[in-house]
Amino acid sequence: GVEELVLLEKLLGLPKGSKYGVRGERKVPVLQTNNGPGLTGIMTIAAYLVKQAKKEQLLGSTAEEKAIVQQWLEYRVTQVDVSSSKEDTRIILKDLNIHLEDKVYLAGNIFTLADILMYYGLHHVMVELTVQEKENYLNVSRWFNHIQHYPGVRQHLSNVVFIKNRLYTNAH
Amino acid sequence: MGFGDLKSAAGLRVLNDFLADRSYIEGYVPSQADIAVFEAISAPPPADLFHALRWYNHIKSYEKQKASLPGVKKALGKYGPTDVEDTTGAATDSKDDDDIDLFGSDDEEESEEAKKLREERLAQYESKKSKKPAVVAKSSILLDVKPWDDETDMAKLEECVRSIQADGLVWGSSKLVPVGYGIKKLQIQCVVEDDKVGTDMLEERITAFEDYVQSMDVAAFNKI
Repeated sequence: GVEELVLLEKLLGLPKGSKYGVRGERKVPVLQTNNGPGLTGIMTIAAYLVKQAKKEQLLGSTAEEKAIVQQWLEYRVTQVDVSSSKEDTRIILKDLNIHLEDKVYLAGNIFTLADILMYYGLHHVMVELTVQEKENYLNVSRWFNHIQHYPGVRQHLSNVVFIKNRLYTNAH
Repeated sequence: MGFGDLKSAAGLRVLNDFLADRSYIEGYVPSQADIAVFEAISAPPPADLFHALRWYNHIKSYEKQKASLPGVKKALGKYGPTDVEDTTGAATDSKDDDDIDLFGSDDEEESEEAKKLREERLAQYESKKSKKPAVVAKSSILLDVKPWDDETDMAKLEECVRSIQADGLVWGSSKLVPVGYGIKKLQIQCVVEDDKVGTDMLEERITAFEDYVQSMDVAAFNKI
């Protein structure tokens, strides 16, 4: 929630000191702006920050790219953030693994906000995966390893280790 | 290293396996390494080699910027999994070097003169090549050496580690980093030649100092 928005600010090179709060039982983050009631929700605040930092390319360039970025941001908030059981997590990882089979980034060939927020959102999941599970979701592992090495993204979060030599010879 | 013959199905399979858990041929950004391998492939990989296809389409999207990507293009045999035999012959002294083929070895009817000229040029090339110092692959490794407890003599521990000598191993600076409970770990840098020294060997030799060393970890490993 709020922590990842602070990390995002740093990644974008924005100055520190924004005022964040939370609202409601599910602790939805709120950003106090200079005028007005403030912005609510991760997607909204993140998109606002990207525009503040003048890095709109992170939201996609073509109409299709922009839509895909929104699609994955929505997925992050509606699926990943509400998943609690192991079964929910398994479904998400399976979905992502299929999607990432032929893509380097979530939106295809460009690095976008979708990759950043999905990384932050999934970090606590990836940290807990066993070696076999990481191999099972090979494409997610490859993508995650790539994003965590992207300059400025990981910051103080722990580095999730992915073993290069595959121990389990299973079908793709 | 190398992928074998990238124009063959077997070579493409090696590439596919290699790219299963990598986004790029080297490191985490597109570089000349990717361009070198991309140019060696004649057509998009088949759909069943989907890691290779994913990589191919991704690198294709960088077509316009290919000259400005970082790194230096090396011979194909320098990339890829380390346990695959380099069959491109570019790195060895074999006569099948690409450059030498330019001097007309395809000609079926070679006059005596042309043959003599070729032999001469071959000899010249070989001598030039042998004089050129080979580019050695090196890595900078940061090791964490942990003692048994806070009473371990860290100066002696450092001495033991530095006493490990090997061809291709150069010790660098070191510092003591506290890890809690008064215990300090030794963080020491070293530069190794990849072909000659591996982290396994280093680990074996460092942990051999059982009196001082409890364990060793690789804290960081960077290619130079």
